[in-house]
Amino acid sequence: MSSSSPAHEASAAPGSGPAPGIGRRRFLRYGTAGAGALLAMGPLAGCSSLASASGASALSVWDLFQGGDGMLMDDMIKAVSEGPDGFEVDRTILDWGPSYYTKLAMSAAGGRASDVAVLHLSRLAGYAPGGLLDPFDLDLLAEFGVTEKDFTPAVWSRTKHQGAVYAVPLDVHPFIVFYDKDAAAEAGLLDPKGELAPMGSPKALLEAGKALADVTGKSGILFGHVTDTAQNWRQFAALYAQTGAAFTLPDGGPAEIDTDAAVRVVSFMQQLFDGRTNPNNLDYNSALAGFMGGRGGMAMLGEWELPTLQKSGIKLGAAPFPQVFDRPAVYTDSHSFVLPHQDSPDPARRREAHRYVAQILKQSLTWASAGHIPAYQPVLAEPAYAELKPQASYADAGKVAVLDPPNWFAGAASNFQNRMCQPLQSALLGNTSAEKAVRQMVREANTLLRQPNPVA
Amino acid sequence: MSTTATPVRTRRRPPRDSAGSPLLLGHGRLPRVLAGTALTVLAAVWLVPFLWAVATSLQSEQDVSKPGLSPFKGAFTLSAYEQILERGNVLLWAANSFLVAGLVTLITVAISTLAAYGFSRGTFRGRRVLMAVTVAAVMVPPQLLVVPLFEQMLTFNLVDTYAAVILPQVVAPMMVFILKRFFDGIPGELEDAARLDGASEVRVFWSVVLPLSRPIVAAVSIFVFIGAWNNFLWPFIVTNDPGLMTLPVGLATVKDAFGIQYAQAMASALLAALPLVVVFLLFQRRIVSSVATTGLGGS
Amino acid sequence: MTTTTPLGAPAPAGERPLAAAPPGRSRRRGPGLLFVLPFAVPFVLFLVWPVVQGLWMSLTDSSLALRDTSFVGFDNYAEAFGDPDVWSSLGNTVFFTAVSSVPLVLVALVMALLVHSGLAGQWVWRLSFFVPYLLPVTVVTLIWTWLYQPDVGLGNELLGALGLEPVGWLSDESVAMWSVAALTVWWTVGFNFLLYLAALQSLPTTYDEAAALDGAGAWRRLWSVTLPQLRRTTVLVAMLQILASLKVFDQIYILTKGGPNGSTRPLLEYVYDVGFTGYRLGYASAVSYVFFALVIVVSLAQLRLFRQED
Repeated sequence: MSSSSPAHEASAAPGSGPAPGIGRRRFLRYGTAGAGALLAMGPLAGCSSLASASGASALSVWDLFQGGDGMLMDDMIKAVSEGPDGFEVDRTILDWGPSYYTKLAMSAAGGRASDVAVLHLSRLAGYAPGGLLDPFDLDLLAEFGVTEKDFTPAVWSRTKHQGAVYAVPLDVHPFIVFYDKDAAAEAGLLDPKGELAPMGSPKALLEAGKALADVTGKSGILFGHVTDTAQNWRQFAALYAQTGAAFTLPDGGPAEIDTDAAVRVVSFMQQLFDGRTNPNNLDYNSALAGFMGGRGGMAMLGEWELPTLQKSGIKLGAAPFPQVFDRPAVYTDSHSFVLPHQDSPDPARRREAHRYVAQILKQSLTWASAGHIPAYQPVLAEPAYAELKPQASYADAGKVAVLDPPNWFAGAASNFQNRMCQPLQSALLGNTSAEKAVRQMVREANTLLRQPNPVA
Repeated sequence: MSTTATPVRTRRRPPRDSAGSPLLLGHGRLPRVLAGTALTVLAAVWLVPFLWAVATSLQSEQDVSKPGLSPFKGAFTLSAYEQILERGNVLLWAANSFLVAGLVTLITVAISTLAAYGFSRGTFRGRRVLMAVTVAAVMVPPQLLVVPLFEQMLTFNLVDTYAAVILPQVVAPMMVFILKRFFDGIPGELEDAARLDGASEVRVFWSVVLPLSRPIVAAVSIFVFIGAWNNFLWPFIVTNDPGLMTLPVGLATVKDAFGIQYAQAMASALLAALPLVVVFLLFQRRIVSSVATTGLGGS
Repeated sequence: MTTTTPLGAPAPAGERPLAAAPPGRSRRRGPGLLFVLPFAVPFVLFLVWPVVQGLWMSLTDSSLALRDTSFVGFDNYAEAFGDPDVWSSLGNTVFFTAVSSVPLVLVALVMALLVHSGLAGQWVWRLSFFVPYLLPVTVVTLIWTWLYQPDVGLGNELLGALGLEPVGWLSDESVAMWSVAALTVWWTVGFNFLLYLAALQSLPTTYDEAAALDGAGAWRRLWSVTLPQLRRTTVLVAMLQILASLKVFDQIYILTKGGPNGSTRPLLEYVYDVGFTGYRLGYASAVSYVFFALVIVVSLAQLRLFRQED
């Protein structure tokens, strides 16, 4: 390092001070030795990492799937890695939630992001407008056998920003109900085909809860929400959409929310989780454990809990979130593939990225075993999918899909969902009234809307 | 600020291995027993998390998740370590950590020593102002700089590069201050004699000053290396590519398809802990005195 | 000579007043600006510039996602002072500082006094107390996440063995910050311990010996001789500790991400949350500068106190 170079510069003429020129050159050399150390990092800056020296050609893909989903994604990647056209994939998994989305945005802002990443479709409004994503080339996708008509309009319409397609949906993953088929049969809730009969009114669902509680001797409908940052919002958003009212978040505010409808929904949630036919103070894991232990006849959960629930030995049924208000609606989200922004994308790699997305979509049947509804419709049409039980029972949920209102701060794992959950939790725990909770939600939404939009 | 106003009082007497004043306990048996017991309990409390982690890392995931207070709930196995090493992440991150901490230490020590000597002996104009600014900068918490530094790295197009991880870490005003105080304390006669013999300033620094400064340079190096090795915030902010991450960042950020598995988590934690613990065992006395001398000024 | 002039402008030889210097030691000789330059350049680039740029950014709507920004005056500061999350995270920071600093100083003192008493096994004690300080933060949080694991973690297993109810170490809002503080004490107390130990070892033993000759007992000498002599060290250690605790981020971010329900989120994590997660770098800069102001105020207050001590 720098301090070693001057060692053999001991030849200054004795007796006289070094001539200015010589001395100065020495010092410059001395200084440049230090600068040289910095410059030595030029190559380091250029080559991206110790790792990429070996696997520079591998396609880097990012996702947030752990546990059951994580292992299924491993299987799908393995499947598309085989054969002469197989991909070399370098997969990175980050923690589900804000930490994933923060890193995704920071890497895209830095311009050296991964080749492909997974994004909840509900978050597109926070990524596409700010230039954090690059659009897909639809011709290229079509070349690999994926086109718009392979998706339902409800989902496809959310993949666009200013006409360009920024996301290719892998799945639709609704918030649904799981039920114990034996308990439901005993409570008289099944239709002749053995599926959950439609509810049709708030009263019907409340009575179903009572009937299930009587049968199990414990609880009717289980729902975990305490300290959860999404469950209450999912529940609310599903029911609110069923009233037909709009929930719009225009930049600058104020939020357009039908407070009467919202109060009706929150009051109903309070009735549904009244602490009598079920404990109203469960957190997510206790509700899950309670249902698996047979201490409840029904549980309101995301379909992604299917693999876990299947291990319980319960005779498991599933259905789209029951319609109790005016129209059918199911709260949902969609894991989608996106191309994080790269400053200078290599066209050949981009092409491979498109091909990879198309190939993975065709593996969606594997993905469906986790409970997710494949977004790629040709897979839904396969007979093998119809045989998946109970997945086939809620396949239609995708058609009445309702996602978060599009806004840069909304979507899965967002601050918005978290803030909506707090007043709802208070209402369900009986600490506040439905009216106050709704007023609080409107206030929170307006606070978020007043922030300057950092992506537009 | 406070720390800069304080001369390091402790430098003169580095801790000795058998240090301690027997007087403190007097001659009675009781205080000795009480102190011994208290010390043992404290040490046990401090060691138990470690030992628990070691025990966990040496079992299978299934055995680890069994309830019970016994540290060993099943058969001994190295499978957690094997799986960690097979995946290779930890080794890659360790290599990155060595590269980053090594370069940061080298550059920091080099430029800080030079600057401190320049500040201590230099006669150039603006010396006082520059030194005052350097001392004032000690008060700036590095955390304050994270947002503008990231913005700067975006501007330089350096996000996700080693340069971005390393360069901002080489600025250590506190180390300059500590070194300058040391240089201020050594007499200048030797240097003047060398100058009279016609040695260049570089030569004076290299052959006269540096040999005298070995202990303080070593202390500063150790302190800087530990800091760089363990630094989390800035490397965490500026690296997104897992191939560039240092150990603390990679372990905290990158997850595994299976979800959290505690035997493997403990195995990787212990592997990551190993290098500095080994270094500590080798250089215990050096490190202890380094922390003691630079500590009050630094931290 | 060259070193006396700014870079790039070597002084004419005639200007050097060599003759004016005292014969033994040339006042004008010595290392030049070029010695300082290799430090000064990165110093300006990576410290001075960011400090200034951060201040500027705090007056703009700078965003992670958009490259064009506009000046917004003091809007960000106005928003920060009215933002309940700024206040709650500031409150969390202060709370953490209080509950971590006190044990970090007291436990370190007790450790150092006990070790200094000269019992056998010096290196074992030092190793046990100091080695955690050498661990990267992630290693510490991995180990403690496992200790705090709700079902089979050591913490709840111990409580179970004592017949007590399990505790939600990291999931209970009223407990989580204490859990973070416990981890922090375990992790960093070794540093303060070493400072105390070094101070104890440099104390003159004469007072102690005199007191012993006068027949003062061990306790008496501890209270009346040793502790008063450690007063200055204690003030220093406490000052450093408070500043260090105010800057808490790493272990909390990794351990709880500020949860449950924001109950452990320190101010610096809020900066990260609004700046990087929420893209609003300008607003995050403003919050950073509010934090900086706090650090400066605390530093100056400490300095004043310390001066009064002397």
